[in-house]
Amino acid sequence: MDDGFAEYVAHRHLRLCRMAYLLTRDWGTAEDLVQTALAKAWVSWRRIEGNPDPYVYRIIVNTHASWWRRLWRGEVPVEALPETVDPNDQAAAADDRAVLWNAIGALSPRQRAVIVLHYFEGRTLTQVADIVGCSLGAVKSQLGRALTRLRVDPDIRTMNLEELQR
Amino acid sequence: MKHTESDLRTLLEEYTHDPAGRQPVPHLKAIVRRGRRTRRVRRALGAGTALAVAATATVLLTGPLRTGQGEAAQPPALARIEAPPKLREEFPVVLGAERSTLSLIHSERFSTTGAARTVTFTPTSHFTGYEVVCGDPRAWIVISSPLKGGEDGGTSGRCEGGGGGHHDKLSVPSGWLKGPQSIKVWVFPADAPVVKVAEELGRCVPSGESTTCDEQAAGRALRNQDVLDRLSAEVGERPGEWAVGIYDSPSPGPATTADSSGRPSPANATTAEPPGTSDPGQTTPQTTPQTTP
Repeated sequence: MDDGFAEYVAHRHLRLCRMAYLLTRDWGTAEDLVQTALAKAWVSWRRIEGNPDPYVYRIIVNTHASWWRRLWRGEVPVEALPETVDPNDQAAAADDRAVLWNAIGALSPRQRAVIVLHYFEGRTLTQVADIVGCSLGAVKSQLGRALTRLRVDPDIRTMNLEELQR
Repeated sequence: MKHTESDLRTLLEEYTHDPAGRQPVPHLKAIVRRGRRTRRVRRALGAGTALAVAATATVLLTGPLRTGQGEAAQPPALARIEAPPKLREEFPVVLGAERSTLSLIHSERFSTTGAARTVTFTPTSHFTGYEVVCGDPRAWIVISSPLKGGEDGGTSGRCEGGGGGHHDKLSVPSGWLKGPQSIKVWVFPADAPVVKVAEELGRCVPSGESTTCDEQAAGRALRNQDVLDRLSAEVGERPGEWAVGIYDSPSPGPATTADSSGRPSPANATTAEPPGTSDPGQTTPQTTPQTTP
């Protein structure tokens, strides 16, 4: 059985691994997750109509969630970050990114999936809702909570654009 | 400190590049191999659920009989062995997210074990399923059915562990709907020397951590024609109740039934074969859409 499956794997494997890495934060686990998802997709390949990406994404997200539940070790994300930095400290830029990266890792699997699908894969919130299998409102809610926990302010980008336009 | 959405996008993009510069390589063969394994497990689960329901029904039905007759007069184990197996009317199929049920289109009952039986039926779709139920759940069963590539697949092992499976569009042989098809079934008594015969013929291949010829390995060995022939010759025909059901998408006509001495319909016939006379050209099943229980 093939029907373009081999071409799809060759074409999309790297991107899927990158997306899976953002969910798992470990390259080995990410590759295993993608291989598992593609194996599941292979079983139903001939029944997939149109672009297989949403179907494969959904398998990746759901499989990762099930693995996460199995491997969860009791980390409890807190509202306040343990340390703060001076906003004028140029050397702290790398630390900021590390803090943001760690904060992404503290998100729940569903919140992380919404963030990755929307900001990394460029999927609209409607598409994200279809992939993760919940309503658009639920996705907006998850996204809002995730951005709050990441200290990402969606208004800042707008403000910067306005400043550039002046 | 507050981050922007742009910060987030940049960070996600940067962190997905392996600092060591390695790029994951797709292993297509491994992926397909895992996919095939997944498909086999799903089919086995479908068949296993069916047998669990059948076994539970058998135990429940035999319970009142035992109570009425008294345990001293008839040992409970014997009562369970003697219970006639019941076939269910519907066969659940799970293919990925799709769930459906197949209806019983043909069934046959047998009262002896040890000989190969060929069950012939006329499929109505590509999703034909089959299931064997036994009066003694510990009986050994082997089901051989043709696959797409012309090879034989099927199920082997204890009857209680799962005695059935189903085709789909990917596994069904070409021309499946053009006429009558058949599967071959062997049922051996629970005390048949399967392990001994498998070891004597060098067909027992332990898997996993096991180094001995356990029941699982012996069950797999039953897929070899020489093991079946030797076992049939050693055991001979013995009394034992079992039945086979063929399931498919609902057809216009009613389900046909027959017993081992009955008169099956022309399209759905059964043939009893004496031990050692089954098709010598049948090869060892290597590719099986259904798994060994």
